[in-house]
Amino acid sequence: MLEQQLVNGVVLGATYALFALGFTLMFGVMGVINLTYGVYFAVGAFAALWSTQALGLPIAAALPLGALIAGVIAVAIDTLLLTRLRKAKAPELASLMVTLGATLFLYAGMAASLGTEIRRFPAAVFDGGAYDLGAVRIGTTQILIFGAAVALVVALMALVRGSRLGLAIRAVAENPDAAALMGINGGLMLRVVSFLSGAIGGAAGVLVGLNFNAIQPFMGEHMMLRGFAVIIVGGLGDLRGALAAGLLLGFAEVLTAAYVSSTFKDLTAFALLVATLWFRPLGLFGRAAAKRA
Amino acid sequence: MRVLSKLMLAAAMLAGTVAGANAQDKTPVKLGAIEILTGPNSRYGIAIQRGFDLALADINKAGGVLGGRPLALAYEDSAGAKEQALNAARKLIGRDRVPLILGPTLSNEMFAAGPVANERKVPIVGTSTTANGITAIGPYVFRTAMPEADVIPVTLKTAQSKFGIKRVAVMYGNDDAFTKSAYDVMKATLEKLGIQVLTTETFGSKDTDFSAQLTKIKGLNPDAIVLSALVEAASGIALQARQLGIDPKVFIIGGNGLNSPKLGEIAGASADGTIVGSPWFIGKKDPANQAFVTAFREKYGDSPDQFAAQAYDTLFIVAKAIDAAGAPDSEKIKDALIKVKHTGVMGPFSFSESRDPADTSGVVVLTMKGGKFQLLE
Amino acid sequence: MWQTLDDFYWTYQSLIHGIGVNGILALSIYVVLAVGQLSLGQAAFMGVGAYTGALLTVKFGTPFAVSMAAAAAVPALIALVVGGPTLRLTGVYLAIATIGLGEITRIVFLNWDYAGGALGLSGIPEKGGVLAIYGTLAVVLIALILVARSRIGRAMEAMREDEAAAGVMGVNLPRYRMTALVVSSGLAGIAGCLSAHVSSFIGPNEYGFETAVTILSYALLGGIGSPVAPVLGAAILTLLPEVLRPLADFRLMVNGLIIVVAVLFMPRGILPWRIARTG
Repeated sequence: MLEQQLVNGVVLGATYALFALGFTLMFGVMGVINLTYGVYFAVGAFAALWSTQALGLPIAAALPLGALIAGVIAVAIDTLLLTRLRKAKAPELASLMVTLGATLFLYAGMAASLGTEIRRFPAAVFDGGAYDLGAVRIGTTQILIFGAAVALVVALMALVRGSRLGLAIRAVAENPDAAALMGINGGLMLRVVSFLSGAIGGAAGVLVGLNFNAIQPFMGEHMMLRGFAVIIVGGLGDLRGALAAGLLLGFAEVLTAAYVSSTFKDLTAFALLVATLWFRPLGLFGRAAAKRA
Repeated sequence: MRVLSKLMLAAAMLAGTVAGANAQDKTPVKLGAIEILTGPNSRYGIAIQRGFDLALADINKAGGVLGGRPLALAYEDSAGAKEQALNAARKLIGRDRVPLILGPTLSNEMFAAGPVANERKVPIVGTSTTANGITAIGPYVFRTAMPEADVIPVTLKTAQSKFGIKRVAVMYGNDDAFTKSAYDVMKATLEKLGIQVLTTETFGSKDTDFSAQLTKIKGLNPDAIVLSALVEAASGIALQARQLGIDPKVFIIGGNGLNSPKLGEIAGASADGTIVGSPWFIGKKDPANQAFVTAFREKYGDSPDQFAAQAYDTLFIVAKAIDAAGAPDSEKIKDALIKVKHTGVMGPFSFSESRDPADTSGVVVLTMKGGKFQLLE
Repeated sequence: MWQTLDDFYWTYQSLIHGIGVNGILALSIYVVLAVGQLSLGQAAFMGVGAYTGALLTVKFGTPFAVSMAAAAAVPALIALVVGGPTLRLTGVYLAIATIGLGEITRIVFLNWDYAGGALGLSGIPEKGGVLAIYGTLAVVLIALILVARSRIGRAMEAMREDEAAAGVMGVNLPRYRMTALVVSSGLAGIAGCLSAHVSSFIGPNEYGFETAVTILSYALLGGIGSPVAPVLGAAILTLLPEVLRPLADFRLMVNGLIIVVAVLFMPRGILPWRIARTG
């Protein structure tokens, strides 16, 4: 049973990590807690659902399409809402508030236009087959989620750490004014980051929707609460930390439910969060760069 | 003075009879309805609204109430929030002066709105409020929803006698009044029937991952899983139970939350074998039910669920009470309601002394096969 | 005439109560915002106050005044205990930490059978009512206006504008922050207790993240230039869903849109004027 619980923990953890990646990237570069992030999660899932149903696309095509659409919407929302506040150098609070109002607007809009009923992918899109390895059973979607989370982290780290684009993004994150003086197009960089994080959120939505076979407009709302915990525990803006913290939270929740009581499962995330704030406020890997928050 | 007032009274009475006989009063009788029409739980409220609207059209086509007055419904949206349910009740009573309120959708909302209606002596009739203690709010609070305490014992007894279950695992959503209250009934019934509970696991109503709890349950080898959940969580649990390789023979015994066609639509074959008790079943062969299902599908392009069916019957019950009361007067309707006998799509209905459904003979036990509920043979 | 007025009052009673209670909640978040902090735990403090007061009244039959005092004291105590470590952190960190506090209190109430668990606590007798609510609101408002006009108010504004400078100028930052958080949680507790005693039923899911955010939006819509502004913001946002009710499906959308527009185009709220100083 323990082996199976560990597998459960890895998959759940990868889900959290995947979701938190885009969230933490957005914060790391823009310094804003963007509450609309949960919306991209649902947008990605709905876009993929639509493309499988209306266009008859296979899931291999629907997944990137869902991510693409979510990314584009993220850019649009960021441009509409935050550019103005960034220019005015408005307090953090104002940005948080704007994204909050937008979240309310977008959720209600989605619920009104799409309905709140749970949808699912047509059975033919993806067979949720599973492999038995001794006492352990792993679903194909679960492998996909784990693989996608790891691949995305590696790709993002390579991009941010190892490319000229990444250098420019980090420069903008560090000091937008100085970056502008160095000839970096700050607005473009912010749009790139918005797109990337929106796309990650969207991809997470597709995969999670596929795994639990349940898609509805409010699906991102619940994830956001875990998302907060993961990005704090991992260190705000820390990609590697988000992966580690997501996995940690997944394990902690599963093991609590298995060996303590499922009643306390929901408490785990917040216990970890509060403990982190008390003892390691900069997160697991505690880099000084996070101090700017 | 006294003579004058008597004269006036006589004149008024005369005018009244004349009006009643000749120029018939055609002003609509407006009732209030508080349902969740927006937000995450709006699907319940909308199903209920559709049931009401269908019944409303039928009643008015057949000549309305009180000898020709059309029935009308004033909807107020509670959005699932008890404050808004409360405001809606006050508005319907204080401003719109409705003689009776239908709803609200959730038991929580009834606990807020019920006392207000009761205070103003306006009957309030819940069609979907199944929690314990609803009608204890006061003498003006009624419900047509079959409380879980009546349905679950039937389900569990049937499971015990038909399948001989001895050891079960219990799972319930612990953050929702509806699922928690059903769990309380399950726990008591299991104890009474002498069925052994191997473990009791909880989850949140918005959770999507249940693998930890289900892995634990798998290791204990129960005969069945007794589950109190809303349909979203229930579908997820059914799907994941099979994904984790829990034997399909270990079937799910559900509370009222699982009694929805959505369970089969979302979980498909994974939910096969699930049994639930229900005050209503879409496949009931009696002509009234068949006509209801056909009309509903025609009007909305969607199958009705029990919430729609309960709402549909409730409006007929209320219309009968208004006719029996002879006037759209709260006090008279309240007295008439308790005496109403109606046979609708749910079967025979009347209120008990405590204003709950008196007749549990309509309860059927359903089992899921190929993603669809059918009567358990 | 009196009958009509009476009916009007009865019809809109919960709304009238709501405006008053939300006004107190707006002041409670104002106290924190005024020293440059952000708490999303106001809903949790409100819930703790509501449960404390209601449990005392229902289970022990204590007089209303005692329930109220306890409803202020218990959240204040919690703030004191959690305040120490969390007040070292600023901005986003404190906000997220207080979200955590909110979730923890929700889960505790859910699993606390004595307090009704998931079913909530029903049958709370009506006490206090409109007089207690608006009396409290008036007293708190006047007290906060007096504070804002004094030396303390100037120190608070200095902290809000530039914390480091305020510290250098001799403002005792930790003490101000702590005091603000404790006062604010006590106020939220009182608001919770007042509202519990006019709504007969409270449940564990009423004091979650969304409530916290709504409370914050009162202050942000009104602005924090003076204590009057948040109260006005609370009144507007409480009335809004009622006025917009006919829009049904679009009510939440419009509500969200109003928040966006208010913050984007009026970042200092709709009442941006600052209060005159005396000290």
